[in-house]
Amino acid sequence: MRTILKAENLEKTYRVGSFDVHALRGVSLDVEEGEFMAIMGPSGCGKSTMLHLLGGLLTPSAGRIIIDGEDLTTATDAQRTDIRRRKIGFVFQRFNLFPTLTADGNLRLAERIHAGSNGAGDAARRRDVLRLLQLEGKMHHKPLELSGGEQQRVALARAVVTNPAIILADEPTGNLDTENSAIVLNMFQEMNYRFNQTIIMITHNPEAAAMCRRIIQMRDGQIVAPSPAVQI
Amino acid sequence: MLDSLVAANIRQRPVRALVSVAGVALGVCLVMLFTGLARGMSNDLERRSSNMRAEIIFTRPGSKELMTSTVNLSTKYVEELQKIEGVERAVPAIRYVSQGGRGFGLEQVEGVDWDGYAAINNMRLVVGRAPQGLDEVVIDESKARNNRVGVGGEIQIFGNRSYRVAGIYSPESGARIKMSLAAMQDALETPGKCSYILIKCTNPEEQATVATRIDTMLPGNKIQYTSEVVLNIEKSIPYLGVFLKTLVGLAAIVSALVVMLAMYTTITERTREIGVLKALGASRGYIISVIEKEALLISLAGLIVGFIVSFVAGNLIHRAYGLVFEYGWAWALTAAVIGLGGGALGALYPAVRAASLDPVSALSYE
Repeated sequence: MRTILKAENLEKTYRVGSFDVHALRGVSLDVEEGEFMAIMGPSGCGKSTMLHLLGGLLTPSAGRIIIDGEDLTTATDAQRTDIRRRKIGFVFQRFNLFPTLTADGNLRLAERIHAGSNGAGDAARRRDVLRLLQLEGKMHHKPLELSGGEQQRVALARAVVTNPAIILADEPTGNLDTENSAIVLNMFQEMNYRFNQTIIMITHNPEAAAMCRRIIQMRDGQIVAPSPAVQI
Repeated sequence: MLDSLVAANIRQRPVRALVSVAGVALGVCLVMLFTGLARGMSNDLERRSSNMRAEIIFTRPGSKELMTSTVNLSTKYVEELQKIEGVERAVPAIRYVSQGGRGFGLEQVEGVDWDGYAAINNMRLVVGRAPQGLDEVVIDESKARNNRVGVGGEIQIFGNRSYRVAGIYSPESGARIKMSLAAMQDALETPGKCSYILIKCTNPEEQATVATRIDTMLPGNKIQYTSEVVLNIEKSIPYLGVFLKTLVGLAAIVSALVVMLAMYTTITERTREIGVLKALGASRGYIISVIEKEALLISLAGLIVGFIVSFVAGNLIHRAYGLVFEYGWAWALTAAVIGLGGGALGALYPAVRAASLDPVSALSYE
């Protein structure tokens, strides 16, 4: 197994007024290729900050992050954006689809950004993803014409279609009912299984976490209970 | 191919897009209509002046500016001028400039002795006869057509004074309305006076020699060649160039501000979407290009609408008021640069601001 993400002694301190808020206090983490990992913990424990750091949306106050061999922490803002474009897919709690575009348009936009000026995306991959997520019949609908579960599947498809090294999901079932949560989590599992897709998922939901191979518990900006990887 | 995100963004807010288009179109219209009018009126004036066949204009110093109505030259000079060698004919005239008959623009009226004036300018009456009474005028064919008035009809001059159209002449030369010199002197209460005297030389090639003789014989007066007056028409309208440049600047500012405001509200509204674009790995250049494309598309639509409205409005104004619009390629190009450039520049600040947004803050924007 290859280590696809390595975080060493990550620290993140925010300045709020005249106070320093330590969101992360020396977090270290190794994620292997094909892992499906859950990060759990109470609100304010630093889960989202860690996800944003791992995705290059924030820069750490200290520490180091290596994604698929590239150092995020020494990269410039433009380089981090480029690493994000090539290696990371995001899935958000609120789906964050472009409401003016159809589901197809959302996917194509991600492909266009991923491809840069080099042209279109991988048509075969796109077909496989759509079939797996059972979205073939929904591609010409706009997000508001889709159910929450369908929207999240489109968001997952958007994240996966560009074949990223890692998917970072921030409470992807937080806005879904039980039935749709189960469907979406199954889809995550399918992606992980079929495409050997590495996934790191923040969740409050123990049932969601139970579907992952590894669960990390965080508290007060630190990892308090890492579980060993489960071999499936 | 147009970015689908750009087209979708415009479709999502059609009213805002239309207001932006109207703003750019307004700027384009300002440039096109005002420069078209200035050019049209100037060329029209020049055309009419160039039909003047007399070589020399004799006036008192300070008079015979294009837009003045000075009547300070004694008609007694006519006799003196006729005696000078090389002068074929000297014809006195009064030019009076007043507000247009429909309260829009300026209107010129000339008082001339028709036979002499027509003879030196190769003019003829198409219908009717020369003005004789104090309440009669002749008009050129454009005036007759624009005012839809023929021989026997009436037109208002000097405010609300009615004059009967005695004839219609051709070609256009000088003012479009002409009455007898006596009628004009009566109307302005300037008996024995005129604005200038037109001098036709026996040999047009000797106009310089004749001018020198006139200056020697009648010193202290102003002697101009008609060709110079024609050349200087645009320059003789005070600060026309400055006015047009100011107008172009204002049009650019209007276009830029409207687009900037529209794009600024767009960026604020789409802050979260910009955060998502950043999360997807969109570069600063990509985000700026999306916003600039949207602004350029709106500006292009504004440009097209502006051109269409300018042509239609110019045509309608011409029909209603007889004002002449002539659109030049140079000004059309200027209007295009202002429309597109103003839009692109206006969108630049919101675009750069969007590209500089912090992705995490943008994603959490409500």
